[in-house]
Amino acid sequence: MSDRGPAPGRARGKVIVCRCEDVTLKDVRHSIALGYADIEEVKRYTGFGTGPCQGKECHALIAAIIADEAGRDPASIDPFTARSPISPAPLRLLAAIDPEPEGDEGDEGDDDTAEEHD
Amino acid sequence: MAGQRLPEFGRGKAVSLRCEGEPLRAYSGESVAVALYAAGEGVMSRSLKYHRPRSFFCLEGHCGACLMRIGGVPNLRACMEPCADDLTVEGQNAYPSPDMDVLGAVDWLFPEGMNHHTLMTGSRLLNNVVSKVVRQLSGLGTLPESVDPAARERAACEEIDVDVLVIGAGPAGLAAAEAAAEAGARTLLCDEQDRPGGSLLADPRHGQREADRRAATAARAGAATRLRTTAIGYYPEDDGVLLLAGPERLARARARRIVYATGGYAQNLVFANNDRPGVMAARAVGRLLVRYGIAPAERVCVVVGRRADPDAAAALAAALAAAGCEVTTVDERRETVVRARGRVWVSGLEVADQSGRVRRVPCNLVAVAAPPAPASEAPRQHGCAVELRPAAGGFAVVADGDGRTSAAGVLACGDVCGATTPERAAADGARAGRAAAAEALA
Repeated sequence: MSDRGPAPGRARGKVIVCRCEDVTLKDVRHSIALGYADIEEVKRYTGFGTGPCQGKECHALIAAIIADEAGRDPASIDPFTARSPISPAPLRLLAAIDPEPEGDEGDEGDDDTAEEHD
Repeated sequence: MAGQRLPEFGRGKAVSLRCEGEPLRAYSGESVAVALYAAGEGVMSRSLKYHRPRSFFCLEGHCGACLMRIGGVPNLRACMEPCADDLTVEGQNAYPSPDMDVLGAVDWLFPEGMNHHTLMTGSRLLNNVVSKVVRQLSGLGTLPESVDPAARERAACEEIDVDVLVIGAGPAGLAAAEAAAEAGARTLLCDEQDRPGGSLLADPRHGQREADRRAATAARAGAATRLRTTAIGYYPEDDGVLLLAGPERLARARARRIVYATGGYAQNLVFANNDRPGVMAARAVGRLLVRYGIAPAERVCVVVGRRADPDAAAALAAALAAAGCEVTTVDERRETVVRARGRVWVSGLEVADQSGRVRRVPCNLVAVAAPPAPASEAPRQHGCAVELRPAAGGFAVVADGDGRTSAAGVLACGDVCGATTPERAAADGARAGRAAAAEALA
C-alpha cells in the first residue's frame, strides 16, 4: 500500500523527506505524535515545504505519510495553499508591473503620475 | 562519478565556464548543472541545516537542490542556467568547498537530527550567543557584490490576450495546443524549459526528434510557442490574470480558456540518505542521456518504486545499457532500498529482500523511478478541485474526459491530472485542446 516499504528507521543515516529544509521522516513522525498532524500543522512545526522548492518535492510525499500514519483516507487531506510565485522569478521582472496602469484611476492618481509610468 | 559525453551526439559550440576560478569545458545548449556533472563536479552546495552535500535531483528546475551562485547572482538553479563563455560558477553554503565542507560536522554531530524547538539551553545569555552564531551560519547564498546596470532598468510588462493559453509543452500540452490551433483558436503554448517536449526529452522511447516533430506540428497548426516562460501565479482580483515570467520580461496573460498541462514534479523514494548526491530522479538520468547526450555513469542502479511505471523504467535501463553503462535494476515490488552508501557521492545501495536480508549494490548513480507529483499549484489558485491520490503522484487535478475542471474556463490534461503514460497524456491533451477551442470560440 505504501510506497515507502518497511520502516527504514533502523538503518543508519537520515531519511530526508524535505530536501530544502533538511526535514527528516523522524521529524514528521515526531510532529504527528505531538498532535500536530494536519498538513498545515506539520508544515509549521517542521518547516517542510518552506524552502526554495516550495513543496514541489515534499508536499505530496508528506501528505501521503500523514495519511498513512494517521490512518486517514488520502482524499480527505487538502493541500496547503499554493502561493505566488509558483516558480522562482527575479524581482526585476515583478518590478515591471505598473501599480497604476493607464485608464485605471488610483485613489490619488493624477495625469502627472500616470505619465511618469509610460 | 563523471558522465561521458557521447561522441556521436550533436552539440552546440564549445564554451568555457569559470568554476571556482578554474576554467571548465562546456557546450552552449547545456545547462550549468549538466556541464558540472560531465566534468565530475557534481556536488554543488550544502544543505541549510545539516550541511549535507547537495546536487541536482530533478534536472528540470523543480527540486531546489542545485542552487549556485552563477554570474555573481546567488540562489540560481544551475539546471536552468545556460552555459556561456566566462560565466562564473560558485558553490554555496559551504566552506571551503561543497565537496569538503567543515560544517558538514553538524550532520555527524547530530545523527538523530536536531529539533530546533527544544534547543534552548535555559540560559538567556548562552541562548543569545548561540542565536547570533546560528544567524551567521544560516541563510542561503550571499548578495551580489555589484548590481548589473541593465538589471536596474525597469523591464517592460507585456499584455497577452489569446483564446486558448496552454501551460506546459510536454506530450499533453503539445497535443492540446495543436488541437486548439487546428480548431481555429488563437493559441499560445508556454514552457519553462528552453526546448519543447517536457518529459519526452527525458524518455529514450521518444527523445529530441519526436519532441521536435510534435512541436513543429503544433506550430504548423498555428500555435505560437514561448520557451523559458513560466506561469508564476494567478491573480483573480486582477481580472483573472496569469503572470508569465519569461527570460527578459513579465507578461500578464488573459485567455478565454486556460489549459494546464504542467505535468508533474519528480519525486524521491524514502530510504536512509536518500538525499545523497548521485541519487537522482530517473527522469534526470534520462534527461542526461536523451537531451544532453551524456552516458551518466559507469554503474547505474535503477530503482523502480512500487507505484512507478515499470515500462518507462525498463526503457531507461535498456537505453543506459546501450550507452555503455553497467545497469542493475532494483524493483521495490520485490525488494526494498534501505540505505544509500557513500560519504559525499553515492557509492552503492543497501537493499533488503522480503526476509530482511540485506545485500549491497555498488553503483555511482541511482535513478529513482516514482510517479511524478502533479504540478497543480496554478490550477489550485484558480480554485480547481484536486484530490490526494498517492498512486497518481500526489494532489491531482480532478477533470472530466475533456479536461474540464471544477473551475470555469480552466482545463487540465496529462500528468497534472495524475501520473499517466506519454501516449495517454497526448490523447488527453488533444481532447482538452479541442474542448478549450470549442468553448473559447462559442
